Amino acid sequence: MGYEITLEDKNATYVVLPAYNEATRIEPVLEDIARKGYNMVIVNDGSSDNTLEVVKQSKRKFPDKIHIFSLPINRGVGIATQTGFEAVLKFNPKYIVSMDSDGQHSADDLDEVIKPLVTGEAQAVIGVRPFKDMPKTRSFANSIMNLLTRIFYKVNVSDSQTGFRAITVDALNKISINATGYLISSEFIREINDNNIPFAEVPIQTIYTPETQAKGTNVVVAFKILLQMIKHQF
Amino acid sequence: MYLYALIFPIISVIAIIWFITRYFKGKNSITTVVLWSIFWIVVSLFAIFPNVSITFAQLFGITRGLDFIIILVFVILFYTVLKLYFIVDNMQNDLNTLVKEVALNNEITLDDEEE
Repeated sequence: MGYEITLEDKNATYVVLPAYNEATRIEPVLEDIARKGYNMVIVNDGSSDNTLEVVKQSKRKFPDKIHIFSLPINRGVGIATQTGFEAVLKFNPKYIVSMDSDGQHSADDLDEVIKPLVTGEAQAVIGVRPFKDMPKTRSFANSIMNLLTRIFYKVNVSDSQTGFRAITVDALNKISINATGYLISSEFIREINDNNIPFAEVPIQTIYTPETQAKGTNVVVAFKILLQMIKHQF
Repeated sequence: MYLYALIFPIISVIAIIWFITRYFKGKNSITTVVLWSIFWIVVSLFAIFPNVSITFAQLFGITRGLDFIIILVFVILFYTVLKLYFIVDNMQNDLNTLVKEVALNNEITLDDEEE
């Protein structure tokens, strides 16, 4: 596509980053995003390490780009993301992105992810990770989750568990997110579908390191999400 | 007379007194006191007069009194676990709302640190 993201588009975009015990990984993530000119809302999810201190150090370098909120106790990625989605509304954004803060996602993909929102092609975007690059167990768990999302939420997407997603503020105001944990990914897609919000899939790169693999959708998490999906049917 | 016929009524009396005391301290509702009192009276009844359980069992189409007691215990346990689950679930939701509100009303600024 020919459209180039402008500084104005970037100023209107806020990236929500839930962070739990990411002290060793979060600094380059935040600073990459800030250098690209995007604003951020970081939600410290009651981390027991010094994530909050590390985030404050980055804020000293980019005081206008970084906004910090901190949950007093750990409540899970869903609650941290919900808090970020509510907090971000204080800054009157046009586009909201949510990303993982462990370095799994690349700030280089931000332009491509928000492009369909800026051009009006879509009101929501999910960043699709290449399954072939994933470790086998991770790829298997994600394939199962895609199938479960199709069965329980009647939505067929290429990557239901991606943490890289973007949405316009109007669309965000239409959806209702209640998940506390990793179910948030599937719930986001269900809400987009149920509210007839036009959405697009954008390929993203995924950076796998032993540390980034320690979190996210493995078979145990997939099983927990399945139980929550069943519970949400009632 | 078997030992359980003595022990269970004693436990029942203690339990009922405990629930009544909690009611007067405002820690229990009257419904809780009544329901638990009925439960402990039934337990005592079964302990002192084991044959009563057979009468109850036959009411529900169960042949043995002991089977009836086991099923009854399972039903009560299932109900208790389910009730606790809903209480915990509601408390979790309240906690999430509270934690979110605390975070949203307290954006962290560098000024906080420098003070």
